[in-house]
Amino acid sequence: MNTAPPQRAGVAGSADAVAPPVRAADWYRRKRTREAMLVACFLLPSLMIFFLYRILPLGWNVILSFEYWSPLKAARFAGLDNYAEMFLEDDVFWQALTNTLIFILASPIAILLALAVALAVNSDLKGAAIYRTIIFLSYPLMSVAVGIVWRWLYDERGGFINFVLRGTGLIKEPIPFLQSFGWALPSVILADIWQVVGFYMIILLTGLQSIPQHLYEAARIDGAPASARFLRITLPMLRPSLFICAVIGILNSFTAFDLVYVMTGGGPAHATELLVTHIYNMGFGETRFDYAAALTVVQFTLLVILTFLANRAVGGNAGSVESA
Amino acid sequence: MARLTLSALRKSYGAHAVVHGVDLDVADREFIVLVGPSGCGKSTILRMIAGLEEITSGSIAIDGRVVNEVDPKDRDIAMVFQDYALYPHMTVEQNMAFSLRYRGFAKAEIRQRVAAAARMLDIETLVARLPRQLSGGQRQRVAMGRAIVRDPKVFLFDEPLSNLDAKLRVAMRTEIKALRQRVPVTTVYVTHDQVEAMTLADRIVVLDKGTAQQIGTPEEVYETPASTFVAAFMGAPPMNLLPASLSGEGAVELPGGTRLQLSGASSSRLDRAPSREIWFGVRPEHLVPARDTSKAEIVAKARVVEPLGSDTMVQFDLGGVALIARMPPKSVRAPGDPLAFTMDPHDVHVFDRASGRRI
Repeated sequence: MNTAPPQRAGVAGSADAVAPPVRAADWYRRKRTREAMLVACFLLPSLMIFFLYRILPLGWNVILSFEYWSPLKAARFAGLDNYAEMFLEDDVFWQALTNTLIFILASPIAILLALAVALAVNSDLKGAAIYRTIIFLSYPLMSVAVGIVWRWLYDERGGFINFVLRGTGLIKEPIPFLQSFGWALPSVILADIWQVVGFYMIILLTGLQSIPQHLYEAARIDGAPASARFLRITLPMLRPSLFICAVIGILNSFTAFDLVYVMTGGGPAHATELLVTHIYNMGFGETRFDYAAALTVVQFTLLVILTFLANRAVGGNAGSVESA
Repeated sequence: MARLTLSALRKSYGAHAVVHGVDLDVADREFIVLVGPSGCGKSTILRMIAGLEEITSGSIAIDGRVVNEVDPKDRDIAMVFQDYALYPHMTVEQNMAFSLRYRGFAKAEIRQRVAAAARMLDIETLVARLPRQLSGGQRQRVAMGRAIVRDPKVFLFDEPLSNLDAKLRVAMRTEIKALRQRVPVTTVYVTHDQVEAMTLADRIVVLDKGTAQQIGTPEEVYETPASTFVAAFMGAPPMNLLPASLSGEGAVELPGGTRLQLSGASSSRLDRAPSREIWFGVRPEHLVPARDTSKAEIVAKARVVEPLGSDTMVQFDLGGVALIARMPPKSVRAPGDPLAFTMDPHDVHVFDRASGRRI
């Protein structure tokens, strides 16, 4: 392949004098076009999959949310009717939205817990590698399995937690964790935290291990106490990892369908209903796909706003790795 | 300003000893360079002085106060790290002010000190930038500025120029030398580059395998190396070392049968040789082209010719041993050209073959 720009043709008296002059700018423009086409060829398969399975359904979903639609009838334009019903008449929507936001607000607890664990297993703690592996093992488990295990742990009669609490004399009567309106949501959130904390720990541990030791040594010589080293070096340097955890936490809160579905089914009395379980119930329980589509649009919008805010909270350059 | 004293300093990692009892007395305002190959223990010694590594045995004293158990922040030292160790999320100004914040300085004084250091290092226009927005040389200056603002008793430099390209390294070396004249603080500087050591040091400590092979001024280390290791390590190209034998009455027999007669002090010191087997050393610049070939002590043919502009480096063989000579420019043109050298007996070095120590 010719990689050098051609010389300007048209030297007087030479054979090239009759040929049209090839300008360097044209050559570079053609080269850029060729490169752009090559890039497009590499990206096309992925873009097609992304378009077919993400963009197209999303677009269709948005259209559907403004229609009356059922599989057996032709669609009719509904305007904002589905949204009006959602915001003005659907109490379950508000309950599900509140629960979803509570779920999101709980994710910092999981991140803090994971940070504490990551700091511990990143230290000279004896057997740190074993603890690291054990803590991470909760993450690859299927959510359905986690739900079943925690349902058993929370069981009012034979559950391990009630057994321990009663055995230690902390309670006299067993607590109906998953059957009580007050206890159900915190109980599900705790199970969710248990499952994701290992994953957060690995992300944060990777972040911790990428912080150059020289920074801590310089800070020790500079006279910064341990608390200042944590606040002024560790936390700022962990910003990209914390952002990833926050985004995963938000996504997880919006998509924790299987855990909730297995543990409580959204009950009791919608106490653990999330937007995602409400969407499922509307779409597949009541075959109101149009209304479910409107719920999905609201959930999607919330997700975008929260991700944007999380990115802003970490300085707007999330994902970038700073180096000296 | 302070004296720094290392006494029988040792460091081991389990059964593996890396520093084997180093003694060193650094005078007030003296610039000491620890030089040696990778793994010789120079950075470990520096880190022990800084308090970043525990001492296995021995002691470190700053101004007479033993600081073995003293926290790094309380040793009144400042350190410039190999990779600068600038806090990447802080501006240049915040980096330089960081240590002062934790030492109870008033905000006005912090500003004044940072401004003064920035002025001295010519980085005044960079104070609002982040480290990633700086070039390697600028980062290096900021790292030095961070040390200067502290006004510490001892400066520690851990291979500060090794991340810079060759041209910038030379420029920064000159800057460090100039800075040192303006801020004459007791300094320990670690490098593996013998040119840095020679140009910057008041005294050099040549280290090998955790042992100080020689401590002396750059001239002493270069002109009277204490061992074959020092002779080969200091100088570029290194000293030529040939296996030779003493043949009595101050004479040395070189490979290929060449016999060299040493005279005066050079001759008398051969009497102290523990054995007849020696290393004979001569620096490339001390192989002097002979005007009269019949009086030359070494006659050979050029094998490789490397013109450097100011000099021409010529490689040749003597009795199967490769030697190198630094010759005037254009004095030798091509491989195969005849060579003839004489040597001043005062410029040759003799080392015991078994121990490698200077005789």
